[in-house]
Amino acid sequence: MPVADDELSLVFSALADPTRRAILERLAVQDATVSQLAEPFALTQQAVSKHLKVLERARLISRTRRGTARSCALDADRLDVVAGWIAHHRRMWADRHDRLDRHLAALRAERHDDEGTPP
Amino acid sequence: MTGTGELTYRRIHHASRELLFDCMTTPEHLTHFWGPAGTSTPIDGIVIDLRPGGVFRTTMVNDADGSTHTMRAVYVEVRRPERLVWVEPDVEGGMRTTITFVALDDTRTEVITHQTNVPAAYLGPEARAGFSTSLDRFDAYLAHLTAHA
Repeated sequence: MPVADDELSLVFSALADPTRRAILERLAVQDATVSQLAEPFALTQQAVSKHLKVLERARLISRTRRGTARSCALDADRLDVVAGWIAHHRRMWADRHDRLDRHLAALRAERHDDEGTPP
Repeated sequence: MTGTGELTYRRIHHASRELLFDCMTTPEHLTHFWGPAGTSTPIDGIVIDLRPGGVFRTTMVNDADGSTHTMRAVYVEVRRPERLVWVEPDVEGGMRTTITFVALDDTRTEVITHQTNVPAAYLGPEARAGFSTSLDRFDAYLAHLTAHA
Protein backbone atom coordinates (compact mmCIF):
# COMPACT_ATOMS: atom_id res chain seq x y z
CA MET A 1 0.00 0.00 0.00
CA PRO A 2 1.68 3.28 -1.04
CA VAL A 3 1.75 5.93 1.65
CA ALA A 4 3.13 9.45 1.36
CA ASP A 5 6.56 9.82 2.98
CA ASP A 6 5.26 12.59 5.23
CA GLU A 7 2.53 10.33 6.58
CA LEU A 8 5.06 7.60 7.25
CA SER A 9 7.28 10.08 9.09
CA LEU A 10 4.31 10.99 11.28
CA VAL A 11 3.82 7.35 12.18
CA PHE A 12 7.51 6.81 12.94
CA SER A 13 7.78 9.91 15.10
CA ALA A 14 4.59 8.94 16.96
CA LEU A 15 6.10 5.51 17.67
CA ALA A 16 9.37 7.10 18.81
CA ASP A 17 8.06 7.82 22.30
CA PRO A 18 8.00 4.98 24.91
CA THR A 19 4.83 6.28 26.61
CA ARG A 20 2.98 6.37 23.31
CA ARG A 21 4.15 2.83 22.56
CA ALA A 22 2.87 1.75 25.98
CA ILE A 23 -0.47 3.43 25.26
CA LEU A 24 -0.69 1.50 21.96
CA GLU A 25 0.08 -1.76 23.74
CA ARG A 26 -2.67 -1.01 26.22
CA LEU A 27 -5.11 -0.25 23.38
CA ALA A 28 -4.06 -3.45 21.59
CA VAL A 29 -5.69 -5.34 24.48
CA GLN A 30 -8.86 -3.26 24.71
CA ASP A 31 -10.33 0.14 23.82
CA ALA A 32 -10.03 2.66 26.65
CA THR A 33 -11.03 6.15 27.72
CA VAL A 34 -8.53 8.90 28.49
CA SER A 35 -8.89 8.45 32.25
CA GLN A 36 -8.45 4.68 31.95
CA LEU A 37 -5.26 5.31 29.97
CA ALA A 38 -3.93 7.91 32.42
CA GLU A 39 -4.21 5.64 35.46
CA PRO A 40 -1.47 3.02 34.88
CA PHE A 41 1.00 5.56 33.51
CA ALA A 42 0.81 7.94 36.49
CA LEU A 43 0.21 10.76 34.03
CA THR A 44 -2.27 13.59 34.14
CA GLN A 45 -5.19 13.32 31.73
CA GLN A 46 -3.79 16.41 30.05
CA ALA A 47 -0.45 14.68 29.39
CA VAL A 48 -2.22 11.60 28.05
CA SER A 49 -4.39 13.78 25.82
CA LYS A 50 -1.25 15.30 24.32
CA HIS A 51 0.12 11.85 23.48
CA LEU A 52 -3.25 10.78 22.07
CA LYS A 53 -3.29 13.79 19.77
CA VAL A 54 0.06 12.72 18.30
CA LEU A 55 -1.18 9.15 17.86
CA GLU A 56 -4.40 10.38 16.30
CA ARG A 57 -2.55 12.67 13.88
CA ALA A 58 -0.50 9.65 12.76
CA ARG A 59 -3.82 7.77 12.50
CA LEU A 60 -2.52 5.03 14.79
CA ILE A 61 -5.66 5.39 16.91
CA SER A 62 -9.21 6.53 16.35
CA ARG A 63 -11.48 8.19 18.90
CA THR A 64 -15.20 7.80 19.26
CA ARG A 65 -17.58 9.63 21.55
CA ARG A 66 -20.07 7.59 23.51
CA GLY A 67 -22.24 9.87 25.62
CA THR A 68 -19.77 11.99 27.57
CA ALA A 69 -16.89 9.48 27.45
CA ARG A 70 -14.45 9.42 24.53
CA SER A 71 -13.09 6.00 23.78
CA CYS A 72 -9.79 5.32 22.01
CA ALA A 73 -9.16 2.36 19.70
CA LEU A 74 -5.98 1.08 18.00
CA ASP A 75 -5.85 1.29 14.21
CA ALA A 76 -3.83 -1.83 13.41
CA ASP A 77 -3.87 -1.24 9.63
CA ARG A 78 -1.55 1.68 10.17
CA LEU A 79 1.01 -0.51 11.92
CA ASP A 80 0.89 -2.86 8.96
CA VAL A 81 1.94 0.04 6.74
CA VAL A 82 4.99 0.67 8.93
CA ALA A 83 5.85 -3.01 9.01
CA GLY A 84 5.52 -3.00 5.22
CA TRP A 85 7.98 -0.14 4.82
CA ILE A 86 10.56 -1.90 6.95
CA ALA A 87 9.98 -5.26 5.27
CA HIS A 88 10.41 -3.67 1.83
CA HIS A 89 13.79 -2.13 2.66
CA ARG A 90 14.93 -5.22 4.49
CA ARG A 91 14.03 -7.46 1.53
CA MET A 92 15.98 -5.17 -0.78
CA TRP A 93 19.14 -5.60 1.29
CA ALA A 94 18.59 -9.35 1.68
CA ASP A 95 18.30 -9.76 -2.12
CA ARG A 96 21.35 -7.58 -2.67
CA HIS A 97 23.44 -9.66 -0.27
CA ASP A 98 22.21 -12.90 -1.88
CA ARG A 99 23.59 -11.66 -5.18
CA LEU A 100 26.78 -10.40 -3.50
CA ASP A 101 27.24 -13.90 -2.08
CA ARG A 102 27.05 -15.39 -5.58
CA HIS A 103 29.41 -12.73 -6.92
CA LEU A 104 31.97 -13.54 -4.19
CA ALA A 105 31.67 -17.25 -5.00
CA ALA A 106 32.31 -16.46 -8.67
CA LEU A 107 35.40 -14.42 -7.69
CA ARG A 108 36.69 -17.34 -5.60
CA ALA A 109 36.11 -19.74 -8.50
CA GLU A 110 38.02 -17.41 -10.84
CA ARG A 111 40.94 -17.24 -8.45
CA HIS A 112 41.06 -21.02 -8.23
CA ASP A 113 41.07 -21.19 -12.03
CA ASP A 114 43.98 -18.74 -12.18
CA GLU A 115 45.92 -20.92 -9.77
CA GLY A 116 45.13 -23.98 -11.85
CA THR A 117 43.26 -25.69 -9.01
CA PRO A 118 39.72 -26.92 -9.42
CA PRO A 119 37.07 -24.72 -7.70
CA MET B 1 22.05 10.88 14.05
CA THR B 2 18.80 9.10 14.80
CA GLY B 3 15.91 9.14 12.40
CA THR B 4 12.20 8.83 11.99
CA GLY B 5 12.44 5.28 10.70
CA GLU B 6 15.32 2.89 10.71
CA LEU B 7 16.42 -0.61 10.05
CA THR B 8 19.48 -2.73 10.59
CA TYR B 9 20.46 -5.59 8.32
CA ARG B 10 23.31 -7.97 9.21
CA ARG B 11 24.97 -10.49 6.96
CA ILE B 12 28.10 -12.64 7.23
CA HIS B 13 30.14 -13.21 4.07
CA HIS B 14 33.13 -15.43 3.41
CA ALA B 15 35.46 -12.68 2.29
CA SER B 16 37.86 -10.13 3.73
CA ARG B 17 36.75 -6.66 4.82
CA GLU B 18 38.87 -5.16 2.06
CA LEU B 19 37.19 -7.21 -0.68
CA LEU B 20 33.70 -6.46 0.67
CA PHE B 21 34.45 -2.76 0.94
CA ASP B 22 35.70 -2.82 -2.67
CA CYS B 23 32.58 -4.71 -3.78
CA MET B 24 30.41 -1.93 -2.34
CA THR B 25 32.46 0.88 -3.88
CA THR B 26 33.62 -0.33 -7.33
CA PRO B 27 31.41 -0.26 -10.45
CA GLU B 28 33.00 -3.50 -11.75
CA HIS B 29 31.72 -5.28 -8.62
CA LEU B 30 28.47 -3.37 -8.01
CA THR B 31 27.12 -4.15 -11.47
CA HIS B 32 26.94 -7.83 -10.43
CA PHE B 33 24.69 -7.44 -7.40
CA TRP B 34 23.40 -3.91 -6.77
CA GLY B 35 20.00 -3.67 -8.48
CA PRO B 36 16.88 -4.97 -6.75
CA ALA B 37 15.43 -8.26 -8.03
CA GLY B 38 14.05 -7.84 -11.55
CA THR B 39 16.46 -5.05 -12.42
CA SER B 40 20.03 -4.78 -13.59
CA THR B 41 22.62 -2.08 -12.97
CA PRO B 42 24.77 -1.55 -16.09
CA ILE B 43 28.35 -0.60 -15.31
CA ASP B 44 28.18 2.58 -17.43
CA GLY B 45 25.28 3.79 -15.27
CA ILE B 46 27.35 3.74 -12.07
CA VAL B 47 29.17 6.90 -11.00
CA ILE B 48 31.47 6.76 -7.98
CA ASP B 49 33.65 9.51 -6.59
CA LEU B 50 34.93 7.75 -3.50
CA ARG B 51 35.58 10.56 -1.01
CA PRO B 52 33.46 12.46 1.53
CA GLY B 53 31.23 14.80 -0.49
CA GLY B 54 31.73 12.65 -3.60
CA VAL B 55 28.90 11.33 -5.77
CA PHE B 56 27.51 7.78 -5.60
CA ARG B 57 24.97 7.28 -8.37
CA THR B 58 23.52 4.09 -9.81
CA THR B 59 20.94 3.73 -12.55
CA MET B 60 18.87 0.56 -12.28
CA VAL B 61 17.14 -0.75 -15.38
CA ASN B 62 13.93 -2.73 -15.10
CA ASP B 63 14.46 -6.06 -16.91
CA ALA B 64 10.80 -6.28 -17.96
CA ASP B 65 10.10 -2.88 -19.52
CA GLY B 66 13.48 -1.09 -19.69
CA SER B 67 12.35 1.74 -17.42
CA THR B 68 15.10 3.23 -15.24
CA HIS B 69 15.46 4.44 -11.69
CA THR B 70 18.48 6.45 -10.55
CA MET B 71 19.70 6.43 -6.98
CA ARG B 72 21.48 9.72 -6.16
CA ALA B 73 23.65 9.69 -3.10
CA VAL B 74 26.59 11.58 -1.64
CA TYR B 75 29.31 9.94 0.42
CA VAL B 76 29.63 11.24 3.97
CA GLU B 77 32.34 8.94 5.28
CA VAL B 78 34.78 6.73 3.38
CA ARG B 79 37.05 4.65 5.63
CA ARG B 80 38.38 1.53 3.93
CA PRO B 81 37.94 -1.16 5.09
CA GLU B 82 35.76 -0.54 8.14
CA ARG B 83 33.06 2.03 7.36
CA LEU B 84 31.11 3.61 4.54
CA VAL B 85 28.35 6.22 4.90
CA TRP B 86 26.22 7.92 2.25
CA VAL B 87 23.03 9.98 2.20
CA GLU B 88 20.26 10.09 -0.39
CA PRO B 89 18.78 13.58 0.00
CA ASP B 90 15.73 12.82 -2.21
CA VAL B 91 14.49 9.68 -0.46
CA GLU B 92 11.84 9.68 2.31
CA GLY B 93 12.96 13.04 3.64
CA GLY B 94 16.64 12.10 3.43
CA MET B 95 17.92 8.55 3.81
CA ARG B 96 21.25 7.85 5.48
CA THR B 97 22.97 4.50 4.96
CA THR B 98 25.88 3.34 7.12
CA ILE B 99 27.74 0.15 6.28
CA THR B 100 30.13 -1.28 8.85
CA PHE B 101 32.51 -4.11 7.99
CA VAL B 102 33.52 -6.25 10.99
CA ALA B 103 36.19 -8.96 10.66
CA LEU B 104 35.01 -12.09 12.51
CA ASP B 105 38.12 -14.16 11.71
CA ASP B 106 40.56 -14.63 8.82
CA THR B 107 37.89 -15.60 6.32
CA ARG B 108 34.59 -14.14 7.52
CA THR B 109 33.29 -10.58 7.67
CA GLU B 110 30.01 -9.32 9.06
CA VAL B 111 28.47 -6.53 7.01
CA ILE B 112 26.09 -4.38 9.06
CA THR B 113 23.82 -2.06 7.12
CA HIS B 114 22.00 0.61 9.06
CA GLN B 115 19.51 2.91 7.35
CA THR B 116 17.81 5.92 8.88
CA ASN B 117 15.69 8.77 7.68
CA VAL B 118 17.11 12.13 8.53
CA PRO B 119 14.53 13.64 10.89
CA ALA B 120 11.78 15.70 9.34
CA ALA B 121 11.65 19.32 10.46
CA TYR B 122 8.64 18.85 12.72
CA LEU B 123 10.11 15.97 14.66
CA GLY B 124 10.79 17.09 18.22
CA PRO B 125 13.97 16.50 20.26
CA GLU B 126 12.10 14.08 22.52
CA ALA B 127 11.33 11.79 19.62
CA ARG B 128 14.86 12.09 18.27
CA ALA B 129 16.27 10.94 21.58
CA GLY B 130 13.73 8.17 21.99
CA PHE B 131 13.88 6.44 18.66
CA SER B 132 16.80 4.08 18.47
CA THR B 133 14.95 0.83 17.92
CA SER B 134 16.69 -1.65 15.68
CA LEU B 135 14.74 -3.36 12.95
CA ASP B 136 14.59 -6.68 14.75
CA ARG B 137 13.29 -5.23 17.99
CA PHE B 138 10.84 -3.07 16.10
CA ASP B 139 9.66 -6.06 14.07
CA ALA B 140 9.05 -8.02 17.25
CA TYR B 141 7.22 -5.09 18.76
CA LEU B 142 4.94 -4.71 15.75
CA ALA B 143 4.23 -8.44 15.72
CA HIS B 144 3.33 -8.23 19.40
CA LEU B 145 0.92 -5.35 18.79
CA THR B 146 -0.78 -6.83 15.75
CA ALA B 147 -1.13 -10.21 17.48
CA HIS B 148 -3.22 -8.52 20.16
CA ALA B 149 -5.29 -6.42 17.79
